[in-house]
Amino acid sequence: MDLVDFARGTALKIAFVVFFVGVLWRLVNVMLLRHRQMLSEPRRSVGAAVLGGLKGMGSRSWPHPEFIKRTVTGEALGYSYHIGLFIVILFFAPHIVFFGSFAGVRWPALPSSIITIFAVITLTLFVAVLSRRLGHPVLRRLSNFDDYFSWFIVALVLVTGLMATAHVGGPYQRILGLHILSFDLLLIWYPFGKLMHSFYIFPTRAIDGYLMTRKGAPS
Amino acid sequence: MSTLGGIPIHVEPTGRPLPSSALGAGLAAILSELASLLEALRRSGAESAIDLRSLPLDPDDLDRLQRLLGTGEVDIRIEANGESRIRETAVCGLWWTEHRDAAGALLAVLIEVARVPSILSAADEDLALGAIRLRADAAAQSAEFGESPHGTT
Amino acid sequence: MARPETEPTIGELLDRNGVSRRSFLKYCTAMASLLALPPIAARAMAAQLRAARRPSVIYLSFQECTGCLESFTRSFAPTIENMIFNVISLDCDDTLMAAAGAQAEKARAQAMEANYGKYLLVVDGAVPTADGGVYHCAAGRTGIDLLTDCAKGAAAIVAVGTCASFGGLPHADPNPTGARAISALVPGKPVINVSGCPPIPEVITGTFLQYVTTGRVPDLDEHLRPTVFYGNSIHNRCYRRPFYDRGEFAKTFDDEGARNGWCLYELGCKGPTTYNACATVKWNNAVSFPIQSGHPCLGCAEPEFWDRGSFYSPIPTARWGKAGEVSTAEAGTLAAGAALTGVAIGAGSVVLARRRISRLQRTPQSESETHNEE
Repeated sequence: MDLVDFARGTALKIAFVVFFVGVLWRLVNVMLLRHRQMLSEPRRSVGAAVLGGLKGMGSRSWPHPEFIKRTVTGEALGYSYHIGLFIVILFFAPHIVFFGSFAGVRWPALPSSIITIFAVITLTLFVAVLSRRLGHPVLRRLSNFDDYFSWFIVALVLVTGLMATAHVGGPYQRILGLHILSFDLLLIWYPFGKLMHSFYIFPTRAIDGYLMTRKGAPS
Repeated sequence: MSTLGGIPIHVEPTGRPLPSSALGAGLAAILSELASLLEALRRSGAESAIDLRSLPLDPDDLDRLQRLLGTGEVDIRIEANGESRIRETAVCGLWWTEHRDAAGALLAVLIEVARVPSILSAADEDLALGAIRLRADAAAQSAEFGESPHGTT
Repeated sequence: MARPETEPTIGELLDRNGVSRRSFLKYCTAMASLLALPPIAARAMAAQLRAARRPSVIYLSFQECTGCLESFTRSFAPTIENMIFNVISLDCDDTLMAAAGAQAEKARAQAMEANYGKYLLVVDGAVPTADGGVYHCAAGRTGIDLLTDCAKGAAAIVAVGTCASFGGLPHADPNPTGARAISALVPGKPVINVSGCPPIPEVITGTFLQYVTTGRVPDLDEHLRPTVFYGNSIHNRCYRRPFYDRGEFAKTFDDEGARNGWCLYELGCKGPTTYNACATVKWNNAVSFPIQSGHPCLGCAEPEFWDRGSFYSPIPTARWGKAGEVSTAEAGTLAAGAALTGVAIGAGSVVLARRRISRLQRTPQSESETHNEE
């Protein structure tokens, strides 16, 4: 059994289990813990508040006009690499085959050359994001192990993936094995670090929007 | 046009029009490689060759390349343990070379870049052997007619 | 059988047989093409080969189907009027030699004695090692005993085929005979693996030729295979590669993509992880190779190719299932089970947390931090 077999076999299975256990654990945790009681008089109806919650998911995903000058660089970088990651992860033919192998469905792929371009751009943005984090005095003080490790693990998957497609750094199957193995690691780390934001981000924005509207503030 | 070298060899393109193909990138690479090999031959006399079977070509690409290079004026057939065919292409200095074994199976397909394909020229050892053989023949002849080979009668 | 130093060079043998300079040069051009040498190297190779002397070759067969030998005898190289017999001296091969039984055993013993330390040992098939090696016995000796004995005086060993190179089919799970690769059984001896099921005929003869021309073991990859033949993956040299790059894949064996000759990656092609010369040297006098015939590469030149799930499941498939692949139902069940476990752990931890908060609320000094009940 070589690295690829281990990575797409036993290691993937373990990662798969840890991922689902961890994600549900943390979601249930957040949902069932006691919430802060709303002490103010409800200013708007529940219906309006639900609408406000939906609006909050959108409005909080866009820079606030007042701060736009200060935050636009970070937000643009963030959005760009997220889009790049989504395209690379979801539309590269071998990835579709991989997800399809257990999800049971496949969808059309983008040409590999386009994927490679997106992957290179994404990696470049990733480096830019890290240098911004290291260069920005406030951001640096706010950063902890989670920030660096989550960055590292996603970058590792990206780099090994690019190496595999470019056939550099050793025999293809070894690099492919490292690529899948780093993805397994990412799955394991996923629920316990900041990557979990993908599950939290929209519900929390919605809840904030709901509460704000209920209290009569703009969402 | 004072020297013979000034007269260009011009071959009229013939045959079917080239089919268009989406896989043309490999062919373009071969053509520019050949162009630089021709320049090297002219500059330094360095002969070279491209082994067409070592290239990951579409089976149709070989055919396409052959038609693209066209047919020149020289067509050589060698009988040496199976047939070899060396045809000049419409591009001077490029020789489309096919070696076959005694059973007719293709052994190698090359494009040789040379003024004359090297397999044609006789080797020194063979020249020496040839001279020895001719002298022996001459000696045998003169022995038959009772004359000295260098005699002036 | 004795091969004294006065043994003629290959050049002398060729001259004696009336092989002309041009036909020899032609042969060397073909071999240079095969060895992926630049065509211009043919002349240097011709000079080296003419000066070389033929090595004695002893051929042994163990757990195998004789497909490798069948392949070997179909190489285009020997059809140039016994050229291969001018390059090697095949002194012993149970399948090809006229002698049988005690005579054959004697012929092998003589060849080994006469060329001790210099002969090339060629082996096809894996060697069974379980239960004292009783699963392969000939002339009252086990395979492992015969191999050990013949390996002693060999200058180098060529393991022909995937069984000899990596264990192959006999080694596949559950491997009842304890079959092992040759390289694992001859410690300290240089082994050249010529894998494939079977190996390409020209790759077998090309390996011999390379050994004879240079007089040494060629450059090998991490699986001890000659890099000239096994240095590139099928995928890298595949003429269908542009379709892979463009994302054009056949999804079934009779769809539009299959008819258009698109990439077979999604039909399980192992080209990207398989290192062999099929895409360039091809088969049957360079007529075709599996992918050109519309079938994905099985990866037969790689270790454990029998034990890597279906030949038709693509490379990046999750494989922790019993049948090699993970079914959607299996993945769903596992995910649901894991999710339920997660819910249970989450709920449990919430109960513990709430209890801790209630306990803290009862102590007066923590009143300031108290959360109000919902």
